Amino acid sequence: MTAGGPRIRFDGVGLTLGRTEILRDVRLSVEAGSVHALVGPNGGGKSSLVKALLGQMPHRGRLAIDWPGAPGTVGYVPQSLEFDRGLPMSVEDFMRATTQRRPAFLRRPREGMADIDAALDRVGMADKRLRRMGALSGGERQRVLLAQSLIPNPALLVLDEPMAALDEAGFAVFEHLLRDWRRDGVTVLWVEHDLEAVGRLADRVSGLNRSVLFDGAPREVLAPERLLALFSARPRTAAQENREPADAAALEAAVSAPARPPDGGAHPPLGRMSRSDRRVVQ
Amino acid sequence: MSYENFRVFVQGLAEAGWLPPSMAYGFVVSALLAGLIIGPVLGGLGTLVVVKRFAFFSEAVGHAALTGVAIGILLGEPYTGPYGSLFGYCLLFGILLNFLRNRTGLTPDTLIGVFLSVSLALGGSLLLLLSGRVNIHILENVLFGSVLTVNGQDLVVLAVVAALVAVLALPLYNRMMLASFNAQLATVRGVRVKLLDYLFVALVTVVTVASVKVIGAILVGALLVIPAASARLLSRSLRGFFWLSVAFATLSTLAGILLPIELALPVPSGAAIILFAGTLFALAAIARGTVPALKGQVS
Repeated sequence: MTAGGPRIRFDGVGLTLGRTEILRDVRLSVEAGSVHALVGPNGGGKSSLVKALLGQMPHRGRLAIDWPGAPGTVGYVPQSLEFDRGLPMSVEDFMRATTQRRPAFLRRPREGMADIDAALDRVGMADKRLRRMGALSGGERQRVLLAQSLIPNPALLVLDEPMAALDEAGFAVFEHLLRDWRRDGVTVLWVEHDLEAVGRLADRVSGLNRSVLFDGAPREVLAPERLLALFSARPRTAAQENREPADAAALEAAVSAPARPPDGGAHPPLGRMSRSDRRVVQ
Repeated sequence: MSYENFRVFVQGLAEAGWLPPSMAYGFVVSALLAGLIIGPVLGGLGTLVVVKRFAFFSEAVGHAALTGVAIGILLGEPYTGPYGSLFGYCLLFGILLNFLRNRTGLTPDTLIGVFLSVSLALGGSLLLLLSGRVNIHILENVLFGSVLTVNGQDLVVLAVVAALVAVLALPLYNRMMLASFNAQLATVRGVRVKLLDYLFVALVTVVTVASVKVIGAILVGALLVIPAASARLLSRSLRGFFWLSVAFATLSTLAGILLPIELALPVPSGAAIILFAGTLFALAAIARGTVPALKGQVS
């Protein structure tokens, strides 16, 4: 259990790199203990906003993390790892290198392995602990990245497209983790392309394309016309939207997703972005 | 016991027949001791060089040592150990290169290509200036290493550098590796990625410079790469990777020093060390291609 996650406030956050405006007047509040999804097109500024939150990008405006008490642990799940696929590094080696100070090439320590064992167990990778990282599938590697974020117990979690490479078993693991985090009051900021998953699992969702185009409960804001505006190359203003109602057919093309059958059975989820629309996952 | 006493003691053991006859010579004892210090350090640090893809950089720093020696002799340092200029120039070389890599966005191989050629041009020009002042043949020792020239001062420099690397690199080993996997994840976990990059560059530089006497400027970078590359072919975990690399580097260094003396071969120590390390690499590559357990590394 954690002491509870923080509330995050982006107040007029802006960022310009060279002559390119990446973020403009971003105003957003992520409630403590909520699962808050951030959706938007590639190049829309999601990663930059996450970098600003993690203190790795200078920005304009105000960004505040209000902890309920003493600042807790921040966990981060990156989209990918840059490493030589032939590197003789087992899953356990990676977990030790990421979460411990004791050099990972030394013998397994007598203490301190319980956390790693438990984290790998939670993501269903305990039986593959001795497998080389380079030999894992993309989904398995993503699960290991989720496992490292569990050590130490986080109070704030930033997830950068954690479902991008997950298989069906991985989806189940992720959903289970989200339930646990929500139960423990962990604040989760979740960058995601899979709109169906966001609609089903997030408490709140914000659409970001340079600035926040919508923000609210998924059922309310994931409406076709809003998504069309969000994923358009030139985001429309609210005034333009009122003059020119969105074209549903164009929306279908934009999100390239098959319609969800009425029975809600197993199928490619509604609104999942086409493969070409995703960033390459290593 | 002072180092001199220790050396005489070892020479006595050799004369009594307890150790190989070549160890009755003082310079062989010094050179072997130097090998025992630099072998494990180069092998261990080499694993990070391979993980972080710094192989070309370590080669470039070795070559920069040639220019460092030339500057040192020009400034009046003893040609047997111009350590002030060697460390000064090579550290400047490495740190400036890393600084420009961060600032310009150029890829490391492009920047190293620029630095390496400019540095060699400078070194070549200075050496011509030097040709009238010192016997230019001493540069062969700088280029390819010589066990004859290892003295007490060199051993002290090696011991201090080895201790420095052990104290700094071992506790930061995991963090240096993580920084190369994903800088953002490393930063979230409290790793000061840029600072560690500079530290790593500095460590590779000082180890390289300290090893120039034994292995030579041209070849020293190779001992940071070849043993680790061989170990990477044969191991299945970081533990095997690290310790095999240490073992290969130490074995190569000791064999490269001893074999030419024992077999009366007119081969410089640096060349013999790298040839031995290269042979181990070839055997490792053959084993990887033929031993079923190593092929494909499926577990």
